[in-house]
Amino acid sequence: MSKVVVVKYIGDQRNRPLTQSEYEMLLKAALHTLYGQSDLVAVRRYLPGGTVGMKTNCLAHRLNSTPLALADALTAILVGAGFKEKDVVVWERSNRELASAGFTLNVSGAGRRCLGTDASVIGYSEDFYGSGEVNSLVSRILTEIVDVNVNVPVLKDHSVAGLSAGMKNMYGAINNPNKYHGNNCDPYCAQVNSLEPIKSKNRLTVIDAVRVQYNGGPGYAEDYLAYYNGLVISDDPVAADRIGLEILEHLRAINSQPTLERAGRPVRYLASAEKLGLGMADIKKIELRVIMIDKNGRESAGELLE
Amino acid sequence: MKRRTFMTCLGCGAAAAVATQTGLFPPVINSLQNAFALGEPKELSSMEARHYKKLPAGGIECGICPRHCQVTDLERGYCGSRENQGDVYRTLVYGKPCSLNIDPIEKKPFFHFYPGTQALSLATAGCNVNCKFCQNWEISQSRPEQTENIDLSPQAVVDLAVQRKTPNIAYTYSEPTIFYEYMYDIAEAGHKHGLRSVMVTGGYIEQEPLRLLIPHLDAIKVDLKSIREDYYKTIVNGELKPVLDRLVQMKSSGIWLEIVTLVVPTLNDTDAEFRDLASWVKVNLGADVPLHFSQFYPQYLLKNLPPTPQATLEKAYAIARSEGMQYVYLGNLPGHPAESTYCPKCKAMLIERKGYRITQQNLVGNHCPKCQQEIPGRF
Repeated sequence: MSKVVVVKYIGDQRNRPLTQSEYEMLLKAALHTLYGQSDLVAVRRYLPGGTVGMKTNCLAHRLNSTPLALADALTAILVGAGFKEKDVVVWERSNRELASAGFTLNVSGAGRRCLGTDASVIGYSEDFYGSGEVNSLVSRILTEIVDVNVNVPVLKDHSVAGLSAGMKNMYGAINNPNKYHGNNCDPYCAQVNSLEPIKSKNRLTVIDAVRVQYNGGPGYAEDYLAYYNGLVISDDPVAADRIGLEILEHLRAINSQPTLERAGRPVRYLASAEKLGLGMADIKKIELRVIMIDKNGRESAGELLE
Repeated sequence: MKRRTFMTCLGCGAAAAVATQTGLFPPVINSLQNAFALGEPKELSSMEARHYKKLPAGGIECGICPRHCQVTDLERGYCGSRENQGDVYRTLVYGKPCSLNIDPIEKKPFFHFYPGTQALSLATAGCNVNCKFCQNWEISQSRPEQTENIDLSPQAVVDLAVQRKTPNIAYTYSEPTIFYEYMYDIAEAGHKHGLRSVMVTGGYIEQEPLRLLIPHLDAIKVDLKSIREDYYKTIVNGELKPVLDRLVQMKSSGIWLEIVTLVVPTLNDTDAEFRDLASWVKVNLGADVPLHFSQFYPQYLLKNLPPTPQATLEKAYAIARSEGMQYVYLGNLPGHPAESTYCPKCKAMLIERKGYRITQQNLVGNHCPKCQQEIPGRF
């Protein structure tokens, strides 16, 4: 069984972006539940090494990218767990994408690092990594700079893959993602995630599902946005995405959109990922915990789809 | 240039030197100033692409090659060089070559097209297939933000060719189909200055863009990578049939055409395949189309295979000749007799080559000096 924690903010009735402190409340509750540890210092045990990456998804710029408030909250928690702030590395494909999503680029050695693979002296690995039909160079941020990585995507519809969450976000870690969109990204998305540096260093997935682009993704389409007000967190990248898919399909259904299967973009790559041993795609093999949190931080049990 | 320095935007040589000497981040990155280490953002082209249509449900469908990528906002086609930006499809590589050299025309190779002349040769990043044997994968399999590019407008390319006195401009190294607009505009401007344009391509291009392009070109060399569909599927990541269709289209247009097949050990080197390929070319294009068999050298994703044995290439030569092909050549074997051109009628040596160098040129106009046999080509 794999454990997935969904944590939802029920602080007020108004749908809106969350603040850093609200994200921190959600993250602390989710990590306590995921790891079964009351002290967040224990997080360090699950994220071994001195340098931790935070792979964002900034494709849609400020309109629908990994929120700065979430990255700041996660940074605060990682620092609280014992990482030095300068050893937290927020990263993406390019400096331009990070900046356009509101991040401040920084490689000065003071404070949290933030840079794209296209930053000077970074680039891609010297050698190819292969899995099945995928052969790619991998960002040196992942292969040479960070010891472990936290994948911090946004939950959204994808015009080809169907689902864009954690696994699809790792297309941003390779040099040739354009080559692997055929057949609704199946089995390519699974194979990208089984490339050795990605498989071995991705230790935690934190999917931002506060505001979800349930159709018209991966770019921004304002007609198809819905608030779910939650995060999906797991150390199993496949299981996290599987629960993300449940949320996405739910939001599509209540907004009169067909299932992704009927829309012509079935999400088959999750099953392929399970076959590759990356995690659990079968929902019967996933232990799901749903936590609701009010504005005072009080927790209560909740339902995934309500 | 090492692949790493080629692939990344280093900003300046000093940064590369620092990286090489002291290892990577965090030590290096600690010592760098923000502005220096982050580098300048790479400016890509935003020229609207040609040959695409907007889809009713949003997104676009590219029509430049048989892949017909359907691309939604902020995504790219398979080639990596075209991007949907708000349902306007844009080429990111117009005026942004990443490779620029002056080569002998024999290097393309063209053996019947103004032998001994030079070609200003250029490429941009990207390709619409992904051959496991690609000899130029560092640019063909990269996205334009991953290569070192220069700004060079079509007119600037023409001016450079005039300045360097190169009568030909070659679109080569990667796949010019993916920089179609740039190639088209250079070729059109070049003709106005008396410059010839040659396209070195895999032939995986749609019929209509090719039809519109051909009047601005003077010769095309097609890599017919195999005569087997499964080879195209598994080794090339493309399709054979559209390539064969385009070859017929090119030949029937009257443009000068030469064909190259890279012979890869164990993958496309059987007698039957050589025979089928030569037979197809003879029947569909003619016995007088130059057919080159080139030696494979281990590269990219096929480093596990050995270079093509000379004997295999000589077998390909013999089979193609026995099938009736009149001008068969072997490539990447400098000094081999099959690099040279012989009269198909009297066997006289017409053009002797050593590598890319011409050591004898005996043609009189386009005729054999001994038997007056007309030799096809542009001389």
